[in-house]
This record gives sequence, structure tokens and C-alpha cells, in this order.
Amino acid sequence: MELVLMLTFGFLEDPSDILIFFGRFHPLVVHLPIGFLILAIIAQFASRWPKFQPLKPFLHYLWGLGAISAFLAVLFGYLLSLSGDYDTDTLFWHQWSGIMVLVLSLACYSLFKKQGKNTPFVKWPLVVLVAITITYTGHLGGNLTHGSTYLLEYAPNPVRGMAGLPPKKEPRPKVTLLDSADIYLDLVQPMMDAKCISCHNPGKKKGGLLLTSHTELMKGGESGEVVTMGDAEASELFRRIALPEDHDDFMPSEGKRPLTEEEVDIIEFWITTGALPKGYVTELDSKKEIIETVNTYLGLDQNTIFGQTVEPPNTMLIDSLTDNGFIINRLMRDNYFLDANFSLSEREITQADLDLLMRLKAQLVWLDLSHSGVTDEHLQQLGQLENLVKLNLSGNAISDTGIQHLSKLTHLESLNLYNTKVSGELLNLLPKLGKLKSIYLWKTHIGDTLAIQLQEEYKNLTIVYERENFE
Amino acid sequence: MQRPLSRREMLGICKGGFGALAFTSMFGVLPFGCDRPKTSAADTDLYLGAHYMPKAKNIIFLYMDGGVSQVDSFDPKPRLAKENGQDPRKKFKVDATQFDNVGKILKSPWEFKQYGECGMPVSSLFPHIATCVDDIALIRSMTSNFPEHTNANYFLHTGSGIQGRPSMGSWMTYGLGSENRNIPGYVVLDGGLIPPGGLDNFKNGFLPASYQASILRAGAEPVANIKPLEKVNNLQEEKLQFIKQLDNSLIGKMGEADAVESAISNYELAYKMQSSIPELTEFKEESKATKKLYGFDSDDPHTRGYAAQCLLARRLVERGVRFIELTCPKVAADRWDQHSNLRDGHERNAHAVDQPIAGLLKDLKSRGMLEDTLVVWTGEFGRTPFAQGTDGRDHNPSAFSMWMAGAGVKGGTIFGKTDEYGYRVIENEVTIHDMHATIMHLMGINHEQLTFRFGGRDMRLTDVHGHVMKDILA
Repeated sequence: MELVLMLTFGFLEDPSDILIFFGRFHPLVVHLPIGFLILAIIAQFASRWPKFQPLKPFLHYLWGLGAISAFLAVLFGYLLSLSGDYDTDTLFWHQWSGIMVLVLSLACYSLFKKQGKNTPFVKWPLVVLVAITITYTGHLGGNLTHGSTYLLEYAPNPVRGMAGLPPKKEPRPKVTLLDSADIYLDLVQPMMDAKCISCHNPGKKKGGLLLTSHTELMKGGESGEVVTMGDAEASELFRRIALPEDHDDFMPSEGKRPLTEEEVDIIEFWITTGALPKGYVTELDSKKEIIETVNTYLGLDQNTIFGQTVEPPNTMLIDSLTDNGFIINRLMRDNYFLDANFSLSEREITQADLDLLMRLKAQLVWLDLSHSGVTDEHLQQLGQLENLVKLNLSGNAISDTGIQHLSKLTHLESLNLYNTKVSGELLNLLPKLGKLKSIYLWKTHIGDTLAIQLQEEYKNLTIVYERENFE
Repeated sequence: MQRPLSRREMLGICKGGFGALAFTSMFGVLPFGCDRPKTSAADTDLYLGAHYMPKAKNIIFLYMDGGVSQVDSFDPKPRLAKENGQDPRKKFKVDATQFDNVGKILKSPWEFKQYGECGMPVSSLFPHIATCVDDIALIRSMTSNFPEHTNANYFLHTGSGIQGRPSMGSWMTYGLGSENRNIPGYVVLDGGLIPPGGLDNFKNGFLPASYQASILRAGAEPVANIKPLEKVNNLQEEKLQFIKQLDNSLIGKMGEADAVESAISNYELAYKMQSSIPELTEFKEESKATKKLYGFDSDDPHTRGYAAQCLLARRLVERGVRFIELTCPKVAADRWDQHSNLRDGHERNAHAVDQPIAGLLKDLKSRGMLEDTLVVWTGEFGRTPFAQGTDGRDHNPSAFSMWMAGAGVKGGTIFGKTDEYGYRVIENEVTIHDMHATIMHLMGINHEQLTFRFGGRDMRLTDVHGHVMKDILA
């Protein structure tokens, strides 16, 4: 009893762990009075109907259950508040309206226990008051846990306006080009928003740390700065997210969704490069791996072409192509994208073959024309197969004159020019092939200097221009 | 010869007819090799090829017969050196081994060094493969269900430890067909050692007979009787025509036509192979540099032999062959199965395959072919970290290493972990079923959907198991 008294009057300045341990049962217990009391209120109103008349003798039990569970909720809630992680103002009102719920439900219990004698005049306002207090307490509780902006974060702007909130922040336009991706605004802050700010917001400053903006983040929390510019290992923020998940210090704590490996890598990269408030990823000192990680993370490596649905190809057309020596494969069940291979044919490709191929323009995404006698003139037509993702032209007598026609193949991810005569024109072609991931240039006329220049310029691109040998 | 149709056969024939009709109206043409006997054409969906966008079009499966020792190749264990010569039973629980001749803890006779940008450690057994580690995804946490070669081989090849199931190559060609009309879609290059368990490792099982492996031997005549015996060209053609006529007349009278139809298509293919195979095995057009890269100029005849097999594998991939398995050369020691004399045996085996494999990877890469080709390197199980007798290692199915390189694989990654002795897997166990599921996934096949009805059940390569190893995918 002494203990309870001490707690109620807030004598404990430095709470021991055991109290907070019990305090954390508050979220579990707190939903019981909400349920019981709402049930009691509904039953109370329903019992006015003749049909639900028989409920009457049991009403006070419901109020009693509500009162007992409200008492537990208040007790655990108080213990939880000792941890001091919450906004004091909101906490004050939450605490006292919670106690109010307890008092009111006790009042209802005693009132309805002596049924029959009470007057409707006292009864109904009391019931309505309980309903209002519960709602209010619950709302404040929600604000404490999820942050005060949580409820209306996705509300339509007129609703937000009524609540006195500014209109929704215009989200940054979705990054579609890697070069336009900002390290903080497009990568780090969205991660914080998604995974960290539910505990590190103005309403619930866990560890005194706010992660709602760059300025706040750099200020750090109770134990000082959390980010050491340029040194990820020394940064508390990075240390906490990079720990094994079962470690005590691991963040996000309490079983909330952890950051993915990619996210951790990106944050490490952000801190290493100076933890800047903004700056384009590609302009920072980026290694190839991090560029790849960012690419995958932002979903930029997904080729938009596969988002389309294409018509089934004409079967007669497929027949003729097959008769001409093409091997046609369908690449997936749920769409009609095709792979065409002419490299196994024993004859050289002709204008007639290409004309047929052009009619598969929509469906054709992979094309293998290696060792098929393709000429520079042929490329003019092949350059119109705009959906191509993979193109193999190795072993053909094609040169710079021909490959300039390939500039419209913007979906191209892989281009095989091994054993051809191409050279300097690549400098003009490559900037136009934004999706290109790998290009094969062994046994071409490019020479080492140009190859190295290309590799310097296109860090995301795998350029294979020689055959390594053993030392 | 004629016998009455059974009820099942009658129904089978009818449903096939309807299925085939429905199919041709749905999709016109399919790669050759998908033409299965008409009576089983009811599962028309399978003709459609990949389930989803494939990464790999072809597979080269480098089978390391006998079980390479993981702690001597790709999984360094410094603790073995520290505790060399101590009694393993005092350190950890030792399972029953095949020969029950448990010796002392045995450190690796080979040094490990880190290679590549990824810093993957590789032992001095594989100095050439070590130069390719940035293209390799290493899995250190493989397990098998069987501690003995024959069953482990069946398990590795067919997903079941008991003989009779279709080999993975058969499943691949069944699911995807072959692109070449003149060469079979599933080829085993016999380097000299047929694995324990024999040809059942490469059989079609309950799948139609045309999906079984064709075995090409090393040397002048890769396929028996590939040179026509008839002096006159015409004569052979006429003979074949006559046989086909006889076979065709039989089909209508027999219910289960699979065997006859497979025979017909086999004759046709064999006829075409008379010209395609000599062209394939003729390395005239390969440059000196290429041959040197593979190790054609090695002093070791086994290296030269395996080099030819690897080059042949690349040429088969160029010709659209779906699944190519290489078996090991017959070096002076046993296969990788060093129950004694570990040092000598492993060195001989490694020397034979190391440079050719590295040459293959580099050659494929520079030609842009590694992008469509999946190279898989594995044995059927691993070896114990303690000695058998004094200088051998016994079988260990509880942990071994394998690697994949090429299409869709994240190069330079190491997946899974074994304990400090390399004896058991402690993190991210990968079963043989998982490996099959992953290989199929890379080929665009959902391993749960490629099925064949047999014995009243829809059979799969992975049976009821298998998870795709997402962590090693690019």
C-alpha cells in the first residue's frame, strides 16, 4: 500500500527497471477498459428497448469490470510514465483524463448497482460523459505512442484544415533518374519517416532524439550527437541500426520493422560522405556498389518495359520466322514478351527476315543475331525495335556507321558487340542508352584508352573489353 | 504385336487429341525438343516454356565427383591448424562415418589467401579459379541427406536418393526444350569417370525418353558409331526411312506410343548428329590464345583433357544446348574421394580442373556469354575435418561448399556458415532441394509448377521441398 501511495504522489524520481517493466504492460491492459466500458455504454442504451430489457440486472457487472480494468490501466500507465520518454503536456492530460475515466466508471458502478432508485436525470449525462472521456483519453494515448501527426497524416486536406493542420507536404517527386536522387531528401529522410519517427517525434522523444529533420537529427539526443560526420563507425545512429537484431541496443527497438541491409548501407554511405543535408548521390564520392544499391533501393533497375502488357503475336508470323531459322521463345507465362535467336541458323540474315522481325516489334525483348551476317544497313532497321532489352550482335561485320542507329533502343540493358568493328561512336551512343547495364566490347576497334575512358565515365556500366589472362 | 487398348490408354489418346488442338490455337510454334509425344500433349501449358523472365538460358554443371573437401578449398578453418593432431571426440560430437576409422583433427595442407575485390578466401588448390572469385557466389552451407556416393549422387542429380527419378537436366529440357535441332538438349561430357550410381544419374526417369542425357566421350569418337558404316550415303537414308515407316505403322496399334515416338525422334536426331557432332568437336576455329587459356598446353594430360571438355561445353552453349554436365577426369589418384593420401589426390584432381574451369569462366565472360549461362560447381557432399586413418578424410554430408557463377548470380558473395571446424552448418543451411529450386528459378522455372503426373501424383524435381536462395541472386 505504501508503494502505491508513493507512486501515486510521484515520489520516485529515479524509477527502477522493475517499475518500467510493469509499466510496459500498459498498452496491453489499456484496451480492456476501453472494451468493457464501451460494451457497458452500448448495453446501457440497448436496455431501454423492451427486447434487451433482460440485460438490466447485469449492467452493473459490466461497469464494475470496466472500473477494475481502468484501475489497472491507470496504475500501469503511471509506471510507464516514469520512464519520462513522453511529451509532458500531453502526458498530463492523458493521465488525468484516464483517472477521470476510473472515477466515472466507479460512479456508474455504484449508481447502477442500486438499480430502480436512480433518476434518468443523473444517469444519462454520466454515461455520455464516460464515452467522451474514454475517447479523449484514448486519442491522447494514441498521440503519445504514434506521434500527434499520426492520425491525420493521410487525411484529405480539408479534414486536415479543420484540425488546424497545414496541407499535406507535397511528397518529393518519385525519383526516376539516378542522377536526380538526393542522398538526404530522397533516401535518408524517407527511411527515418518510415522506420524511426514513430518513436523519435516531438510527441514521443525517445532518448531525447528527434529524427524529423536534418537539423534535429544532427542535434542528437540525451547522450549527445548521434552522427559523427564522415565516420559511420563512430556514429551512434549507425552503430545502433547495424547491430545484430537481438542486441539490446538494436534500433528500431521493440520489434518494430528493422532497416533493411540496403538501407543500412545507404546510411553508412551518407555518414561517410559527410552526413550532408542534401546533395546528389552520383556527385558524391560514390563507389560502384553503393550506386547499385541505391539503384535497387529506389527500384530504378526495374525496366519499365515489363510493366506493359503486350498482345499475343500473330501465330502465322511466328511460323514464318521459325521456318526462316529463327528460334522463338516466350519468356514468361503472364505476358507475350519474346526471345528470338537467329545465331543457330546456318545462313545469313536477309532483308526479308528483318521485315518479318519488325512485325514482332512490340513483343520482342531479347534478340540474338550473333554470327548472322548482320550489316550496318541492317542496323538501321533493327534500331527501330524499341522494346529490346538484350541485343547480341557479336561476330558481325558492323561498325560505327551502323551502331549510331541503335540510339533509340532506350530499354536496352545488355548490348553485345564482341568481335565487331565498332569504336569511337560508342561515345555518342552510350549517353542515349540510359538503362544499359553491360556492354561487351572485346575484339572491337575501341582500344584500351577509349575503354578506360568509358569505364571512368560510366561507373554503373559493366564494360567487358578484354579477356583477362592468368599472371 | 497388336493388343487391345486399355481403358486408360484409350482415354489418354483422346484427351491428347483435344489438348493438342487447343494448344495449336493458343500458341503457334515452340522450340524444337518441346515436341513431346502427342499422347501426352494434354499438359499443354508446359509447352509455353519459362514461367517468368529467365536469367539463364543454359547451364554448365561442373560435377566434382567424390566430394571435394570444403576445409581444404573454399571454407578456411584456422582452428584445425591450432588443434591439429588432437582427438576430435573430445572437441565435438562425431557422427558415425562410413569407414569408422576416425583419426585426429587434421589441418589443411594448403594455404588460404584472399582474392579479388570481394576478398574471398580460396586455398592454393585452386589458384586459377581464385582469379574469378568476383564472379562467383560461394555457398558454404550445403548439406546432403546421404553419406555415401551412390545415393548422394542420385540425390544431387535427381532430387531423390533412390534411382529412377528424372535427372535435373531432363527436367530442364522437359520444361524449356532445346534450341538446337541437331544436338540433344541435355548433354553429359564424360571426362573419364562415370559417377557411382552410373547412368541412372542422367536418366529421364518417368519423363519421356527423349529427355535423357546424351553422353559425349572425350576423344576422337565422342559418340559411338557417329561415323556412318554404310559406304553409300543414300543407303543409310533409305534404311532410316524404312525403319521410320515400320515404326509409324506401329504407333496406331499401340496405346502408349511414347517409346516408339521417342525412338523415331532419336533416330532422326542421331542422323543429324553425324554432321553436327564432328563440327562441334573440331576445335580448328579456336585460337591458340583461347586454347592456352583453357590449358591445352598443360604438361598434365588430365588438364588438357578437361580443358577440351570445358571448351566443348562453351561450344555447346553457343549451339543452344540447355544443360551440359561435365564429369571428372580419371586422374592417377581416385576421384575427389580421398579416404587416404588427401594431399596427393586432391592436388591431382585440382590440377586437372582448376585452369580449365577458370579459362571457361573468363572465356564466357569476355564473349558476353556468362550473362546467359549459369555455371555450377559442386560435389555430392563434403569431407570430415578430422582424418580418416592418418592422412585422409571421410565423407561428410553435414557441410560442404559449392559455388555458382554467371547469369543472375551475385558475384563475390559468400552465403552460409559452418562451425569452427567446418564440420556442420550453423547458419543458412542450403539443401540439395534448395539448390535445385534456385537453379530452376534462374532458368525462369517455378520449381513448384514444373510437374509431371506419375504414379497418381504431380511429381516435381524438388518433391515437396526447396526454397529459392534469394540472397545469392543479383
